[in-house]
Amino acid sequence: MDNTILISILSMAGLGLFFAVVLAIVNQKLKIKEDPLVEKLEGVLPRLNCGACGFANCHIYAEKLAKKEVSPNQCRAGGEEVTNKISEILGVSAERPEKKAGIVHCGADASKRKKKAVYTGIKTCIAAHATSGGEIFCEYGCLGYGDCMRACPFGGIEIVNGLAKINPDICTACGKCATACPRGLITVEKITSKDFIYVACSNLDKGADTRKVCPVGCIACGICQKLTEGIFHVEGNLSRVDYEKLTGLSNTDEVVKKCPTKCIVHI
Amino acid sequence: MVNLVLIFLAASITHNIVLTYFLGVCPFIGVSKKIEQAVGMGLATTFVMTVAAIVTWLIYHFILIRFGLPFLQYVSFIIVIASLVQIVEMFIRKFSPPLYRALGIYLPLITTNCAILGLTLFMVLRDYDFFESVVFGLGSGAGFTLALIIMAGIREELECCDIPKPLEGAGITLIIAGILALTFMGFSGLISN
Repeated sequence: MDNTILISILSMAGLGLFFAVVLAIVNQKLKIKEDPLVEKLEGVLPRLNCGACGFANCHIYAEKLAKKEVSPNQCRAGGEEVTNKISEILGVSAERPEKKAGIVHCGADASKRKKKAVYTGIKTCIAAHATSGGEIFCEYGCLGYGDCMRACPFGGIEIVNGLAKINPDICTACGKCATACPRGLITVEKITSKDFIYVACSNLDKGADTRKVCPVGCIACGICQKLTEGIFHVEGNLSRVDYEKLTGLSNTDEVVKKCPTKCIVHI
Repeated sequence: MVNLVLIFLAASITHNIVLTYFLGVCPFIGVSKKIEQAVGMGLATTFVMTVAAIVTWLIYHFILIRFGLPFLQYVSFIIVIASLVQIVEMFIRKFSPPLYRALGIYLPLITTNCAILGLTLFMVLRDYDFFESVVFGLGSGAGFTLALIIMAGIREELECCDIPKPLEGAGITLIIAGILALTFMGFSGLISN
């Protein structure tokens, strides 16, 4: 009996020792050199994994930061606060991130859109868009079921009277809404000044056709083009804007006022 | 040879470790949300099962039986499984960090996965020889992976379904697991073990 106890203890201890040694060896062989700097940087980042910095998640951005391959002002979700913290850790001077925000290129809310039918299907934009364009005549306009609102990780989009509105103060320009919109109405632009104006329409039909389906659609009259000398230009029946050059525009109010369908609006 | 094929088929289909013996239900429910993760978890578990079958067979026959200590099988088997899982975890962390992050807590939980301890104990109970044990380990792993992938496939489809509110999440998953187990009972007459 004494013998059994002794053998039990010895054999189990032997087994334990054997596996401990194996584990120790494997641990040494497969050791990962995790940079403490990466961990520190990742702790500062918001960990939303929104991808606005251009990397798949915060961890990869932190790795790139540690290697000093990217500048610390790429985190749009964290804004200035995070940029400052990163610069502090890395010991470099911070540059201000440019303010960017998403813009909805449609200005027709539910009261302005002309309806062709009643849509009772699944209440998402992508479903309505696939069902012969939902219930509105305009093939380009906002459907108002809020796919962008649900895609926004920050709650910066509301649907006001059937039209998506992006709050530029909350918007971090991650661009998730732009991918979510089946009609491609949302673009991310540099907000250069408080006087930022944009064309709230995406309709590529001829002016007369646009007028039939929407009271606030761009009819490609070209007035804005004449008033701004190159910043606005009409192409493919739609007024387009070189948003980077907007700062050089002096007669912003005049452009907004003279647009016959009032589709050029302030942010 | 025929015997080995039968053991493999029995372990993976007719006597599926998850859907017939209801072992390893925790990872079965926990890591079956996406097929990708299910495959990763299934392969990791299969690997641990096969190696555990080999090592525990050797230990049982060359240490426990020889010294007359078969009552220590639980303790020694748990040591083997825990160590193996540690090794697999280090391996995955080194070579596939995304899988490591996706499996999360379920990877260390393979340690306490009753499917693996169950497998080693069945092996002893049924008096398998060495090759039979290896095939049994492989078969059980394949069965576990199969169950996980089927479940993940159903749950991916389920994302688009209108599920009654009280049943969302674990509720509907357990119901599906029950129905899956019922369907696997249909195989039960194929091979007598």
